[in-house]
Amino acid sequence: MKILIADDSRVMRQIVTRTLRQAGYEGHDLVEASDGREAYNTAKSEKPDLVLSDWNMPEMTGVEVLRQLRSEGVQVPFGFVTSEGTPEMRQAAEAAGALFLITKPFTPESFKDALDSILG
Amino acid sequence: MIEYPSPTADDLLVIAEQVWTSYLDPEGVNPLIQMPPGETPKEVSAAVSVTGAWRGHVVISFSAAASRHAAAGLLGIGYDDVSTADITDAVGELVNIIGGNVKSLLPEPSALSLPHVQTGGSGHWPNVKEVCSLFGLWHNEPLTVSVLEGTSSAAEAGGVGA
Repeated sequence: MKILIADDSRVMRQIVTRTLRQAGYEGHDLVEASDGREAYNTAKSEKPDLVLSDWNMPEMTGVEVLRQLRSEGVQVPFGFVTSEGTPEMRQAAEAAGALFLITKPFTPESFKDALDSILG
Repeated sequence: MIEYPSPTADDLLVIAEQVWTSYLDPEGVNPLIQMPPGETPKEVSAAVSVTGAWRGHVVISFSAAASRHAAAGLLGIGYDDVSTADITDAVGELVNIIGGNVKSLLPEPSALSLPHVQTGGSGHWPNVKEVCSLFGLWHNEPLTVSVLEGTSSAAEAGGVGA
């Protein structure tokens, strides 16, 4: 599967990549985006099978990326990996069509809980 | 109406310990040690601002060595291999994570800014009062996590400056 990792922090993109491996999800094709606009463009051009996106990014927020993709009929499975997990944000994520919201700091176990039904 | 007790140093310690356990000290060999209140290091500071029902900032201040340890730990590379860009990215992400978790303790609705990072001198925070601070020692180097609440609309303008 092709997985798009969108986060404006290079450090966090590396941690997400490392945690995917620690959670047992190896051998996937990983592509990265460093802001929301790049995430949207990459989701359109690379046609990933899964998007793991930060929420708070320059250019476009993660939820704006998701809403834009859905408004254009792009139904790629999409989940958030974000430092905020308030009930309001979870509701907004779900309403926009996100499958899950993983809060930072996360562990390989929290990745498994969210991703096993998609990547397992 | 939901009550929001002010965050405390104990809240900051719980959040910091989660970050350390997940990313910076997963083996449990170099934990963050809470220290009595003391001097805040000035070499590197990273901050996020919260605006909305609560206004203020969450700030982490590091000694230069502590910030380098943070970057090395998050990236999984050697201390001597860390670049300045690594430090900026790493401490910005750390304050984003800790700030996001602090925000969950504060009145909603509010929004979290992107991180600001300053090296070579601590930030200046006009019109704020300290809500709580966690003084820590890590790898025998100091770092401080502080929650600063704005006391006027000036807090909305952000406080990072020389």
